[in-house]
Amino acid sequence: MRREVAIISYAQTPYEPDANASREMQVLRVAKAALAAAGLKQEDRYTVVTANNDYCDGRTISNMRLVEPAAAWMKNESKAEMDGAYAALYGLLRILSGDHDIALIIGESQASVYARWLPGIMMMDPTFDRQRWLLNEVSAAALQARAYMNAFGVSEEQVAGVAAKNLDNAALNPLAGNKLAGADAAKVLGSRKLYEPISEMMVAQYCDGACAMVIAAGELAEKAEKPVWIRGVGFAHDSYLTERSLEEMGSLKLAAEKAYAMAGISDPASQVDLAEVHENFAHEELMAYEALGFCGRGEGGAFFDSGATRRDGKLPVNTSGGAIGANVACATGLARIIEAAMQIRGEAGDHQVAKAKTAVATGQTGPCAQESVVFVLGGE
Amino acid sequence: MAHVDVAIVGVGYSKHVSKRRDVNIAELVWEAVSNCYEDAGLKPKDIDAVVTGNMPAFEGVNIPELWGAGHWGAYHKPLIRITTGGTTGGSVVHGAYYAVASGLYDTVLAIAFEKQSDGNSTMGLNTVALADAAAQFQQGVDPGFLAAFGGGAVGIAVYQAASYMKRSGCTTHHLDKVSALCRNNAALNPWSHLKQPGLTPEDVAKTVLMQYPIRFGHVCPATDGACAMIVTTGEKALKLQNKPAYILSCASCSDEAALMGISGSGTTNMDPCAQEHCKLAAKWAYELAGIKDPRREIDVAEPYAPFAHQMLMFYERLLLCDEGEAPAILDSGSMNLDGELPVCPSGGVISTNAIGASAMERVTEVALQIMGKAGDRQVKKEVHKGVAHGWGGAVNLNVVAVLSDTPRRS
Repeated sequence: MRREVAIISYAQTPYEPDANASREMQVLRVAKAALAAAGLKQEDRYTVVTANNDYCDGRTISNMRLVEPAAAWMKNESKAEMDGAYAALYGLLRILSGDHDIALIIGESQASVYARWLPGIMMMDPTFDRQRWLLNEVSAAALQARAYMNAFGVSEEQVAGVAAKNLDNAALNPLAGNKLAGADAAKVLGSRKLYEPISEMMVAQYCDGACAMVIAAGELAEKAEKPVWIRGVGFAHDSYLTERSLEEMGSLKLAAEKAYAMAGISDPASQVDLAEVHENFAHEELMAYEALGFCGRGEGGAFFDSGATRRDGKLPVNTSGGAIGANVACATGLARIIEAAMQIRGEAGDHQVAKAKTAVATGQTGPCAQESVVFVLGGE
Repeated sequence: MAHVDVAIVGVGYSKHVSKRRDVNIAELVWEAVSNCYEDAGLKPKDIDAVVTGNMPAFEGVNIPELWGAGHWGAYHKPLIRITTGGTTGGSVVHGAYYAVASGLYDTVLAIAFEKQSDGNSTMGLNTVALADAAAQFQQGVDPGFLAAFGGGAVGIAVYQAASYMKRSGCTTHHLDKVSALCRNNAALNPWSHLKQPGLTPEDVAKTVLMQYPIRFGHVCPATDGACAMIVTTGEKALKLQNKPAYILSCASCSDEAALMGISGSGTTNMDPCAQEHCKLAAKWAYELAGIKDPRREIDVAEPYAPFAHQMLMFYERLLLCDEGEAPAILDSGSMNLDGELPVCPSGGVISTNAIGASAMERVTEVALQIMGKAGDRQVKKEVHKGVAHGWGGAVNLNVVAVLSDTPRRS
């Protein structure tokens, strides 16, 4: 990378099924807190990139009403209409260009005020799939889960185990909205079946919330107390879900390869200390282990069984509870980056792990993780 | 730190008309993209990253590139979606500019489009006004009075137009002249939607009055269309084009959201024609581009003007003259194709408005003027530098790009 860019500060709201605040109020809270923590004021020069979606806002131009609460008044502002990790990516591109030194990144949505599954249905191919009304985010994920499980002999218990791990981890994260201390696979398998083989507790349920992060190069980064450096980044688009093999996460694999090459990581299994993965469904985390190179192709289930990805394992994944612990459309991937940075700084409180020098965070957009972005972060 | 030069090496348009019933979204976009590949002499394999955008609520498809982009050359490529309302096309260009300027990607395909006939854009735009309308209901404003704002953008534009006319001395005759100038230019542009060769200001003045001061002839059409461009590093650009158009700088600036001067939160009371943020975006873009005196250095301007008064208003807000001078400059003939500083030689947004694509088409049209490839609509004077603009949101978003035939002096 042409410049060294660091995460300077961050802020998150609690993630709740039905927050007692408007989306504007939630954005105002995190924007103010992230700027203050970075030592910045409204009159300082910075650029703002938000992530939100017109279908989640229920009206067109979803960034338009966020100018004031997002501290973007009279600022160079833009919006990525994708997962929040893409807003971070766009902010990074802006800083790397040299035209900007500081970027405020914000992701947000309020699932309590829109029909939660409708934006996903509106993503489907309008010329065919929409007319048949069979595919939605969950039914599409069920197709992918079954394809993956059949191809590599992954069991329902293993998939349920991932959900149980994340729900249990979330119990230690005061911001997570979906938590269950001591959750186990049997409990998850006993929850209501949605689409075979996916049951309710395997789904990252949408909720309300916002998160913000300040990234910077130059003076602010050099003077920052505990900067978390962005060592590598990669992102990729894959084909629509009916036009590709669903057995692997192609876009995540491509994105990870780019990010690792940039960060100088040749053996992620030994060089990465911790990962925060955007898993919309439990099986996606197993597939992500493979795409991120933590284990071999088809070995995701066995890697999970080894205990490596538990809080006390050699490569903890989603110690925050991941998306299953709190899933805010257009914020979840950004929250993964923030959680990874918290671990590196040692600010993760009850869910802090012992060793976190190098961390990976991912974000995704589209059904069956069609588009992915990967960040590699590092401490001093 | 050395600046990475960013240059446009190819542009492409789809056919632009009211209703493209013969193609779906992906096919419409492919028309523009394939023309763009051909213009640049490149193939999908040469593309390192893709930036795309539209206004998804207008067509009723959320993130349409999920099923479309594979057909445009984005298969297994990095892709980012940037959408900001009326400024979307400009914001997509900015994204492509930053992707190249970041040093991470060399050659980037930028795509912007709208297929309005698939949905209901006025319904989409009316959702923009909900916050303002809701606040005014609370304050006891008669719903019947609010209904008079109906028609989405037009209901908002009349406020801005009336305010601009009061402040500048612009008359309804000037509005008629703007429409005549643009629609005649559009007749020379094979990609434009509304072509009206020989249209006179008197003809425009005879069209139906929608709401004072805006007549039917002062308003853009609703268009189906797509636009694409390929940008690459300065080094690679010279291998592809003898005369690439460099993007010297990009800047956006956002103001408080206030459709009719009053925001939904009740905190704002502002003049919708002030557009202070446009002036700030222009100032930042000129500074980065090393332009000290835009009035002398800019050779051609493509302001985003779906309504006639906006061509004059944004000419001023892009710092090309003092406030209130634009109507007289229009009268002088300076804005004509053979004038001193031609404005909207493409015919502008008032002639062609595929909303998501429109702000990108301002950039591609300035690029074609610089490359000398604008055909019949090529302006008579020599073009070295030009400014392209986009506008939208709750009259609160502006994007500006400055283009040149020579790279930025860093």
